[in-house]
Parts: sequence; structure tokens; C-alpha cells
Amino acid sequence: MPFTRRSFVTTAGLSGASLLALRREAFAALPAPDSPMALPPPRLLLHNNENPLGPGQAVLDALRVQLKDGVPAGRYPFALAGETTKAIADRFGAKPENVALGCGSTQVLRSAVEVFTSSTKGLVSAIPTYEECMGDAELLGRPVRAIPLDSQMKIDLDAMAEASKGAGLVFVNNPNNPTATVWSGDAIGAFIEKVLKASPDTTILLDEAYHDYVTDPSHRTQVPLALKNPRVLVARTFSKAHGMAGMRTGYVLGMPETVAKLNAWEGSGYLNIPGLIAAAVSIKDQARLDAEKARNTEARQFTIDWFKARGCEPTDSQCNFLFVNINQPVRGFREACRKEGVLVARDFPPYENSHCRISIGTLEEMKQATEVFARALAAAPAKAA
Amino acid sequence: MKKGAPAPMPPAPPPTDTDTIHLDSNENPLGPGSAAMEALAKGYDFAGRYPTNAKPSTSQLRETIARKFGVRPENVVVSNGSGELLRVATRVYTSPSRHLLTASPTFASPEEMAAQVGSAVKRVLVDQEGKLDLDGMAAGARWAGLIFFCNPNNPTGTVHSFKAVADFVGRVRRESPETAILIDEAYHDYVDDPSYGSAVALALEHPNVLVTRTLSKAYGMAGMRVGYAIAQARTIESLQRWVMTFTTNSLAQAAAVASLKDPDHIDREHARNTEVRQYVTRFFKDLGFKTTDSHGNFVFVDIGRPSKEFKQACSRQGVIVGREFPPLEKTWARISLGTMEQMKKATAVFARVLSPATSGVGSESGGSAATTVSK
Repeated sequence: MPFTRRSFVTTAGLSGASLLALRREAFAALPAPDSPMALPPPRLLLHNNENPLGPGQAVLDALRVQLKDGVPAGRYPFALAGETTKAIADRFGAKPENVALGCGSTQVLRSAVEVFTSSTKGLVSAIPTYEECMGDAELLGRPVRAIPLDSQMKIDLDAMAEASKGAGLVFVNNPNNPTATVWSGDAIGAFIEKVLKASPDTTILLDEAYHDYVTDPSHRTQVPLALKNPRVLVARTFSKAHGMAGMRTGYVLGMPETVAKLNAWEGSGYLNIPGLIAAAVSIKDQARLDAEKARNTEARQFTIDWFKARGCEPTDSQCNFLFVNINQPVRGFREACRKEGVLVARDFPPYENSHCRISIGTLEEMKQATEVFARALAAAPAKAA
Repeated sequence: MKKGAPAPMPPAPPPTDTDTIHLDSNENPLGPGSAAMEALAKGYDFAGRYPTNAKPSTSQLRETIARKFGVRPENVVVSNGSGELLRVATRVYTSPSRHLLTASPTFASPEEMAAQVGSAVKRVLVDQEGKLDLDGMAAGARWAGLIFFCNPNNPTGTVHSFKAVADFVGRVRRESPETAILIDEAYHDYVDDPSYGSAVALALEHPNVLVTRTLSKAYGMAGMRVGYAIAQARTIESLQRWVMTFTTNSLAQAAAVASLKDPDHIDREHARNTEVRQYVTRFFKDLGFKTTDSHGNFVFVDIGRPSKEFKQACSRQGVIVGREFPPLEKTWARISLGTMEQMKKATAVFARVLSPATSGVGSESGGSAATTVSK
């Protein structure tokens, strides 16, 4: 994400200072100096964990056919939302009442913070992790407990469970962005059980945005649990493996009474017709997802091997990005890459002096990018003290 | 939309019968113009990129809007339809002690948001002509957090002149300087009244005065979700931080930029709508029904019977009209304007439904449920 949240780490522990203004203003779409369009060739966007191929052919074909006549684009999305909701429910053997759609998973996460936290029942989140929930909680003035990662840069499930007592919402991103690490299905299952027992008013929101890229066989989705426990929700997005980051469609699965609370907050008014058409097609296209996973795994392995050969150790990535120890502050590396037409991600404190998040493009793109990385690593000043 | 529960997810898709004529949500029946549709097709190349990385990017859309108004990008906030900004403004400016001042009836989104966040609400009934009651609203403005001023007003379609709006804003600024004013110009592009003028100049002149616009109406992009507000930079800043991350989609940005650079299309759409509105207005007058002086893409008609019954009766004949608009629901109905061809079919249905021979038709039960959401 293109936000500047350099000092976010200071919110670790009980939140006090509001850094949200920084975050939001950084996004305020003032002409960005690092606008991708202003980049010199090869113009590689490896900073936002996007799918470099975009949506599958079936999606593009459906869009071209269904939007050939402009009339559908002129209609509000309410009616079509029902059809897409059903397509997603069918994919999971669930009912439409188990699904809430959102403008990306962003809206779903945001609604969860609105609905399940209060001035007395706060949010528990890892840090660093995907920051939507934490940012929204700060904006709303809801208490935040931010729990540092463990020594493996995995979410510290024990500390999270401990902090969850009395919380309104616990947010767990599995695999975790930006560190790319995943917890096994068993570990997450045990964590959920612990929180449910210890804190009877707490809702658990699992964000499985990168689920489709995971190759660790111990991982499994928590959707089945969400469909039978009213205090568990699983968020998914079409922005990653489905290749639809620009189409802003995500969803959450849970029990009808839990999902209804999210729908009641903002409803379907922020959904868009092209995104709804695309989502209904993409959710059925498992072959495309499988191909995308294989493509990403190959390009990811190439990039991992390349870094390892240079003494740069990545975490065990289960995503379409790496979190790699470049043995130097990220800022200088990032600047050097940008000058050569490659964008890598912003800082993720407290790892900003060692670890860089690099999204995985196509294999061809990664071959080009690693040439740039080689020069940037060599050009960088000596390792920070 | 129901109060406190905006846009509930429909449990099932509505009938896909292509013969059904949808006149319930003030949509443009033609959709976006050709320039927008061409840009949309090209925009597929960026469907996989976040809107900030797409071409055009969110910044470029913001700049395009700024150029249209001769203002700086800092005077513009882009949003997911203008509806998002109506909710954001209500949240930012109102509280339990700083009420939302709104009209009755008017577009309900701010009032719904106020209910959700526990803000106080005061409503001022529109006047006999369906126009916003300027004196009544000015009187209720003292200590208000936000005034919602929909011009033209939905559902009555009436407008106030630029001078009347300027005088109102000036009076509120004098008498209650802490009160923010949101002037919703969703239907701006359809207005024919020569005394009308956009309040954008007022928004740039005064702090905490903002004008919202949407591409959901004349631009024909209700399903694409693009809206924006113009205001002083500091006002924009206070709203921007509440706008959803990546709120506009990459395809919509492409269509919006192309559309904003195609004013001829809007002129044609304006003329098309005016012709249809005149036809429908005359139809009702000829039958002896009173209409307000609408400047939107809809008419507001005193049908002399409950709008719910009228809606149900029309629905059974394949025409979906607007929902109830309390406190005028006992006799007034809102009918969105489709194409001339659609309206000729629809008026035939209205004539049957409203004819004395079928009076009492509304008391029948078991009519097919039309979609209850509307804009």
C-alpha cells in the first residue's frame, strides 16, 4: 500500500498517539512523486502485492459482453449484488446470508471495526500487519492493542490471545502482510478456541487475502469455522490471486447474524457493477486460480533463490511477495530501485532497517528486477549500525 | 432505503425480465456516454492494478475534476459516489449535541448516517411547492453541526436560485458560523431554471461549505461509483481522512476522466431528459394531477392516493416507480424518467392505474415486491 506510516510502530502497546492523519493524508491522492507512470523503464510495480496478469480471460470476456451496452453501468449495484453474493456462497457451499460483499476487503474490515469495537471494547491486532483495521480504529477513537510479531516474524498468537480478553475485535491476517508468514490451520484453530473461551464478547476476524497463494500444506482456511461460529469471520479479496485489485470487490463469510451486522452498517451501496460481474465469474474459475498460484510459486522461488545466493534471507513466504532481509535500511535500497524503474514497498517498522517487502511480478519481470536489485544492493551505503 | 439500515442486501436478484421498466432510482437509462465506454474498455488493462497505480490514477481523476472547476486538486475529494461523502460529512460535522439539519422529504442518506452514529436530527418540511423552506432551515440552523441542502431537491425536484442559496449560506454563516453546509448538486446537470447556478463558488468562498456532485445521474455511471466534493482545502482535508482507502475503482476512474472531458454528452443528456420530463409532466397535468416544478431526472406527482398502492399497482404491470417519501407518502409519488420510449409505455400503465375505473386497485394484496432500495 502506498501509505507513509513510518512511525506506526510507536503505537505498539496501548494506542495513544494518532498517526492516522499521516496515513490518510499520504493517501490523499496529491500527485505522487513516485507515480508509476512517471517511472523510467522497466517500470515494474512491485510495491502493492498486485497480480501482474490482472483478471483471467473469462472475467474479461464477461465484462466485454455484459458491459457492451452501457445500460448496466448506469444502474445502481443493489440488484446485481444479490447474484454475486449467491455465486460466492455457492463456491463455499454456503447461503447468501453467509456472505457480505465489500468495496475490496477494505470495506469489510472497516465495517467490522465499526460494528464490533467500541470505546470500551477495542481492537487487537499484530504489528506490522495489514493496517486497515488499526487505521480505522484510530480514526474512530477506539482503543488499539498492537502486538509485536514473534522472533520468526509470525503473528504472536499467544500474546494476541492474552491481549484479546475483553476486546471487541481481534484481527488476524493469515498469511500475514507484510511478513508473508503463515500459521498452520491447527495453530489458528487452537488460537480461536482460546480466544472464544477466554473472552466471550470478542469477535475474531481472519483476513485470508493471500490464501490462494499459500503452498505450506499445514495451512487451511477457517471458512468452515466461520460458517458455524457467530464470533468468527473470514475476509477474502479479489485483489490478489484473482487479479482484480482495481475492481474493488471483496467479501466476508460468517454466520447470518454476524454478517447481517456488517451489511447493516454500509450495505451494498459502495459496490460497483464491473467488479460484481467480474467477481461472479472469477469465483468459479478455479483453473485460473490454480494457474496463477503455480505461476506465482515459480516466480517467488526464483526470487527467493536469487536473494539467498546473496546472503539476503527472506521469511518463509506464502504470498505473492517476499519480506527479505537486505541487511541495510530499506529506504536507500528503495530509492535506488525507484531510480531504475522498480518500485518496492514502503517501510514496515520495526523492520525498516533490514527487511524489504517486494511483490512478485511475472518471472520475466523478476529477472529484470533482480538485475536492478543487484545494483541497488551494491550501491547502498554500509549496513546501519 | 430504510432508516438506520441503508441499502440492505437484497436476498435474491430482482426479476431479470427485460420488459420491466425501472423508474425507481433516478438512474440514467442510457448509461455512460460513448467516450466513457471506450475508456472503460481500455481500462480493463488496469483491472489488476490498485486505483492509485491505474491509468488514469486516482490523482489524475482528482486533477481532471479540479481543472473542470478551475480549482486546485486540494479543493477536491473523490469518493465512492457522492453518497460516501454525505455519510462522511454527517459523521465529521454532527454529534449528539450538534444536530443534522435536513429537509423533509429530501435524500435520506445523511439522516440515516446520523441515526447510525447517534447524532441528533432536525427536519424542516418543504414548502407548498415542494421547495426547501429557506427561512425554516435558517431558523433551525443555530447550533447545527451540518445542514444538508439538496439542490435540486430529491424527491421534489425543485430548485432554489443561486441568489437564494447565496443569501441562505450568508445568513447561516452570520447566525451560526460553526455550522457546516453541504449543498448536494447531484442533479445539477439536469436543471433548466435560468435563475439556478452552482454553489461551487460559495464552497470556495466559505470554510466548511461543500458542494457534492455525482457521476451517477447525468453521467450515467451509477454502477461505477464516482462522486466528489469541492470545498476549501482545509474542509477537504477533514473529509479526505474519512474516505475509504481505494474507494474508486480503476475502470470507473478511466470512464470518469473520459466523461468529464466530454461536456457535449452531458448537454445531449440534459436535452434528452428535459424533453422526456416535459412529456411526462404534461401527461400528468392533462389527467389533472399536480406535479412539482422538477429539475431532476424524475417527476414528483400528487397522485391523490398512497404512493405505496400506486407503486404496487404499477409493479404488477411491469413498471417500478419510487418508494414512499414520508411525510408526503399519502398522496405523492416519485417517478424517475427513462427514455421517451419507456415513458410512453409507462404512462399507459399510469393511465390505467390512475383511472377512476380502477380506483381501489391499490388495496389489492399480493403484488410482486419491487426492489425497495432507491437513490
